[in-house]
Formats: sequence, structure tokens, C-alpha cells
Amino acid sequence: MGERDNARNEEFQSFMIGRWPRLMRTAFLLTGEQHAAEDLVQTTLEQVFVAWRKVGSADDPEAYVRRVMINAHARRHRRKLKEFLAPRDDSGLVREVPDTGDRIAQADDRSALLKALAQLPPRQREAVVLRYWEDLTETQAAEAMGCSVGTVKSNAAKGIAKLRAIPGLADMVAQGGRN
Amino acid sequence: MSVDREKQYMTQTETDIAFLLADATDEVEIGIAPVQAVMRGGRRRRARRWAMAAATAMVVLGGSAGATLAFAGLPGEHRAQEVAKPAPPEARHVYEPQRTEVSRGTYQGKEWHVSVQVWGAPRDENEADRQFDAMAELGVMPAEVRKPADLIGKMSFFATRGWGEEHAQQVMFNTVRKPESYAGTDLEAIATRFSSDPASSGRLVIGIVARTAQEVTCHWKDGRTSVAHPADGFSAHDDGNAIRTVDGFPTANWFVCVAPQGTVYQSAEVTK
Repeated sequence: MGERDNARNEEFQSFMIGRWPRLMRTAFLLTGEQHAAEDLVQTTLEQVFVAWRKVGSADDPEAYVRRVMINAHARRHRRKLKEFLAPRDDSGLVREVPDTGDRIAQADDRSALLKALAQLPPRQREAVVLRYWEDLTETQAAEAMGCSVGTVKSNAAKGIAKLRAIPGLADMVAQGGRN
Repeated sequence: MSVDREKQYMTQTETDIAFLLADATDEVEIGIAPVQAVMRGGRRRRARRWAMAAATAMVVLGGSAGATLAFAGLPGEHRAQEVAKPAPPEARHVYEPQRTEVSRGTYQGKEWHVSVQVWGAPRDENEADRQFDAMAELGVMPAEVRKPADLIGKMSFFATRGWGEEHAQQVMFNTVRKPESYAGTDLEAIATRFSSDPASSGRLVIGIVARTAQEVTCHWKDGRTSVAHPADGFSAHDDGNAIRTVDGFPTANWFVCVAPQGTVYQSAEVTK
């Protein structure tokens, strides 16, 4: 391994160590589960490492990382997450949209929010996480999701509309999200 | 629209949810960034991507050669159609891989060997089904393939290593559609034991280099080195360090370095 490679590896290491906490939090919101989050971040960073020669010298490596993570999430975690978290009705079909029944009425802590978030269709979940956790603009979120600004707006709005249906949301906010 | 301007339109509900999302992320255990694991995984991905170069080149060459053979005795008036005629799967090594032994030796009285097998790309479901079964019979499992149809249009390669009587195990492999260039001092390698058997502490480095590489130097943690050079055939004096051309892998060569006793891998580089 040459000196240039060593230097690049060190650069990547410091990038990864610096971004790891934030990426883990984002992945956790996307996947709703600790191990799935770790898996998603590792997969993302492996791909970033492969392309580091190009990514490391780019103006906005963060944007590239976000794009990779969203792609990886869409590809690898969408179906698994639905199977894992979404309730099944009598027909055995997975329901994507939470209703406002008893299950959601128990939404009084973080896990309720995470559960409600996880039950959003993946694109809505991605839009909500990127806009309201990552604090991206609609344009930045659209770049990360590989779609139009209009699609981001639409998905984020639908996602928010479903999340606001969680009873007790206002109380959660008032109490800092916990009881 | 600027960030600030977009934020002006955030409703109370959106603000509340943003707050809750931030709070909810405290549920996740951050842990220590697994830098080495990620870099190892990245190197494996890179190795698989580099192998793509060999894949497509092999398919193209195989296809042309097959078509020529098939029509060698016919008049040359339909050449365009002749070239388009696909080679049979057997000629493309769809059901039986091309195999090349890259290195071998003896460790603790038992023979070890490193080989590379290259499978041609199936062109339809029937070919893919048969290839999937043939791979299973040989005990190899293609990368990221969940059903036979995932093999269609992709070549597969497997570097395997075995020690003693145990079945050879795949250690570096991929199933890919498109090639990437591999030149100069490009090198991708993995460090592995002779065997998954805990009794085997001997270390090997197996990797890929450009066809122009004339020397690979492997550095071990204790400061010693092993040097691999291009080799033809095998002799009793081989020390296991070698660079070899692998059948079906026209855009790169493979190499093996053998660690001296009692040390472990540090790095490898093309030195000539």
C-alpha cells in the first residue's frame, strides 16, 4: 500500500469517526432498529470508502453519503422493516398506513413515535427524516432521494399528516418526548 | 429557496415532530465507529468491482471465439449474423468453471492450495438454473445472489483456499455484470489463514494485480517481507509466493504471498 493510499485511508478514518454518531442517528430513524441501523451505516460507509478517492475531494461529501444511505435503505431495509414492524390484519397483508386505533392511542413515548415513523411508507419516512431530522432543504432532500422537489414535498407532507395523528403528540412535545 | 426561507414555512406540527425525532435518536446506542471493519468491507467490495473487468472481457472474448468456431466451415457471406450467433453455454463455461491453481505448498504436513474458478455469464433462466445448481455442487455461493435468475448476464469468480482434507472455501469472490479497469499499481488483497480450522495459524495473502505487475511485496507485522513474481507452472522449489495468470480472467493477474511463521499481515504493494 503506497503512501497516498495510507493518507487517503487516514482521511477516510477521520471522516468516518466524525460522522458515525450522526449517521447512526439518521439510520436509526430510517430503520427503527439498532442492528439494522448499524448495518445500514456500515454498508453506506463501505461504499463511501470504495469511492473515497472521488468522494473525499468532492465539494460536498455529505451529500454523497446521504444519497448512498438512502439508496441502501431503499434497497435493503424497506421490505424487511415492514415485515418486522408493521402489524398484520386478518388477511395477512401488511398495512403501510397506521390508523388511529388503540395501538396508536398508546403513543406516549419515543417508541411510539419510532413505531409510527417505521409504519410510514419508505419514501415518506425518508422524506420526513431528511427534512425534519437532517434539517435538509427540499432541494437537498430531493438530491438525496433521487427524486423531484415536488415528490419530497408530497412525501413529507403525507408523512407529517400521519405522524400528527398520533394521539398525545402535543403532550410528548411538552414533556420533551418522554413521559 | 434558501434554508432559512424554507424553515419559515415550518408549521408548529413540523417543529414538534422535528423535536421528537431528535429526541428519539437518543434511543440508539452510538458505539465506537468500526473503522477497520468498514474498510475491510470496502476493500472486499472494491475487489469485486475490479473483478468486473475480467468478467465482461471474458464474456466478449468467449462469445466471439465461440461464434467463430461454430461457423468455421461455412461460407463467409453472412458474417454479421455469424458474429451474433451465441456460443453454447459449455463453451462459455457456464456450467463448469475455468479453474487455475495460483499457489500451493505444505503447512504442518498437510498440503494447502489457492485456486481461482471463473464461471461464464448465463444468458437466460435455464442457463442460470443449471449454473446455480452446478455452483452448489462445487460448494461455492455467488455474491448477492438470492435466486438463480440473479445470475443472468453476470460472470462469477471465486478464489478458494483449502488445507489438508477439508473442502476448499471461497475467500474472495463476486458476481458482476460490468468490468472496471485495473492497471498500474492497483492491488486488492485479503489476508486469510490456510483454513478456518483453528489449528491453522499460517497466513496467506491472496490478491489481484494488473497484468503488468512484475513483483508484489507483502509486508508482515514483524518487519519481514515476502515477494511474489510471475510464475509458470510449479516446481518443488516453490515457496508459495507467486503471481499467475488465471484462465478466464484476462484483465488482471492473481497473486499469493505466504507469511513466515509467527507473524501476521501488514500490507501488500506492487513494487515492480
